[in-house]
Amino acid sequence: MEKQHKVLIANRGEIAVRIIQACCKLGLKFVAVYTQEDIHSGHVKLAKELGDENSLYRISSYHDANEILSVADIAEATAIHPGYGFFAEDFRFARRVTERTRPLVFLGPSWRVIRELGDKINTKRIARSLNVPTVPGSDKPIYDESEAEKIARTLFDFQIQQGVKKPLVLVKASAGGGGMGIEEIHDIDLFRSIYRRIRNYAMRQFKDDGVLIEQRITNFNHLEVQIIADRSGKNPVHFGTRNCSIQSTGLQKRIEIAPGFAPETIRYTFDANKVMEDIIEHSLTLARKVNYDSVGTWEWIVTKEGNPFLMEVNTRIQVENGVSAAISRIKGKTGVDLIAEQIRTGLGEPLGYTQKDITFDGIGIEYRIIAEDTEHNFTPWVGDIETFSYKKAPWLSMHTHLPKVSKENPYTIPTEFDPNLALGIVWGTNLENAKQRGKEFLNSLVIAGSNSQGESLKSNIPFLLANTERILKF
Amino acid sequence: MLDITKLLEEIKQHPYKDLSIRTPHTGIIEFSNIQEGDNVIDATGEFREIPGTKIAVITRENNPRFIHACQKGMIQKLHREYDSRFVESGVEIGVLRHFLTKEEVINTILQKTLHLFYAPERAKYYFIPDINTKVKVYGCRSVTVTNGMELFIVSRMKREVPLSYTGPNGIIYQVYFDHNQNIDVNQPLIGVCSPDQVETIEDVISRVNHEWKEQN
Repeated sequence: MEKQHKVLIANRGEIAVRIIQACCKLGLKFVAVYTQEDIHSGHVKLAKELGDENSLYRISSYHDANEILSVADIAEATAIHPGYGFFAEDFRFARRVTERTRPLVFLGPSWRVIRELGDKINTKRIARSLNVPTVPGSDKPIYDESEAEKIARTLFDFQIQQGVKKPLVLVKASAGGGGMGIEEIHDIDLFRSIYRRIRNYAMRQFKDDGVLIEQRITNFNHLEVQIIADRSGKNPVHFGTRNCSIQSTGLQKRIEIAPGFAPETIRYTFDANKVMEDIIEHSLTLARKVNYDSVGTWEWIVTKEGNPFLMEVNTRIQVENGVSAAISRIKGKTGVDLIAEQIRTGLGEPLGYTQKDITFDGIGIEYRIIAEDTEHNFTPWVGDIETFSYKKAPWLSMHTHLPKVSKENPYTIPTEFDPNLALGIVWGTNLENAKQRGKEFLNSLVIAGSNSQGESLKSNIPFLLANTERILKF
Repeated sequence: MLDITKLLEEIKQHPYKDLSIRTPHTGIIEFSNIQEGDNVIDATGEFREIPGTKIAVITRENNPRFIHACQKGMIQKLHREYDSRFVESGVEIGVLRHFLTKEEVINTILQKTLHLFYAPERAKYYFIPDINTKVKVYGCRSVTVTNGMELFIVSRMKREVPLSYTGPNGIIYQVYFDHNQNIDVNQPLIGVCSPDQVETIEDVISRVNHEWKEQN
């Protein structure tokens, strides 16, 4: 890079930690922000340790674009990394960052690309125009109850015609994401009450009561394709597939595995290699069509018969990027860091490699470690964390914003944000080896604490352990 | 039965509270023409549409925002060292001594009179839609609550769960939470009283109105 850049990290927690680390790896200066609730977060501690006197600012909200940009100016930042969530997929923010009086580089796709693919409906339209299969359902947010019910009835009738014995329809908050604001309907007579519940929830949480009505495809696997391209938008490459089918009851991802299937070990009723090749090719076709120019994830559902349907495109780095990196090699080298690649190419460097230079080795498993009550609808547990420890291993990487904790110096989980505490990524030479290492890691992991009522911390470790056995199986 | 006279005497011992004036967000701060010892007022007007005394202006991204006195009182301290400087969010720029109003005294006494239902955890709280509509249209005192009745939606980390009211049956006399605002654990959400208590409460209010002399 010719110019000495300084990156403002418009995010918090684990992703902020990883962006700080990526900046240091690339020799870039950074500036981090935090809110009062995050004063004890590891990202704040790391920014103090690795940054200079202009590397950390307290703001009132991670959602306040004005504040973030004013900090960028005072700290003389030249680029903004949005992380995931907050402004990551907000094309207006991306446009403002790049078109203001003192323009900055937005370290994500160009705003036009975000606008085009950030809208799930528009993505569907483009995909359909390229013969990329998509989930049947509404092609715009629905605000009218009668119209929504009409679409739901049509989808029920369609499934009955297709021989589906128990047809299901999904009602989703149009402005939602990450599994929030989704309910399924198995009886059309219940439609109105569920529709109203989702609409009210969407209004409270997202200030937009539009909903999408889609066919609910059951017994499917949730696959993703990891894409990256440089600013030319001409040469997208993929970093393979991931399988994110192990989720909480609220459809929140809990375990992600790369690659998406393991046909060399598990017998599928379809040609799993071909499915993975197909979804990769479809994803790259769409990426080329829109001149995709950053990292992004194409999300797919694959039915038990091996039929893939594109769900949406996430125009950002995702939580689970590390598990793809764990199995990837660039020109034979390990240590792939997709966040560093996103920053490097986002600042204008060419990709520097082609698809032929990317190879894959082994199996990666990412565990999302969360304080939650898995026996009661995965309700987030809130309180103080007093112990967090695990056995280190060369095949394990841990990403967390938890600071060093003890009984005397606990970390209080803020209730304002996502409940993720840490990501443990395990690599194995093959599926069995990865599973065995995964269990070894989880058995060594200790996370303990208590809340204001004196109740012990509840975590999802037993859930992760129990589900390790069934990974990549339908 | 509450000893109102004793309670009022206790409050009279400390008839004010010192409020920290903090920056609402980051930006460059510029103090207005105000001095320590000056009296200030909060928003006035039928709809509180007239802002209180201007204390400072904070500018970020060419967007100036006035920091007005949020309560009536006297400026105790101004941190003029921040004048024309970039400050972070939540920085104390001054201290305001606010003398309690009749309404605040009544509120303090009411909290000792009503049955308070507390937030079981830090979260955002909403009334369930039917109750919410009733509160908005007819006011909270139109709502009768019974022990075990589903009354709230608790929202945190974007998960929502219902919460039932526990306590004596009665009407909601006071609501202590706002829409979309985080409430700390053990903070009161509502104050409930039985319908036959209303008259007694009105008497207490009337006594405070009569006996409390507002300062400033």
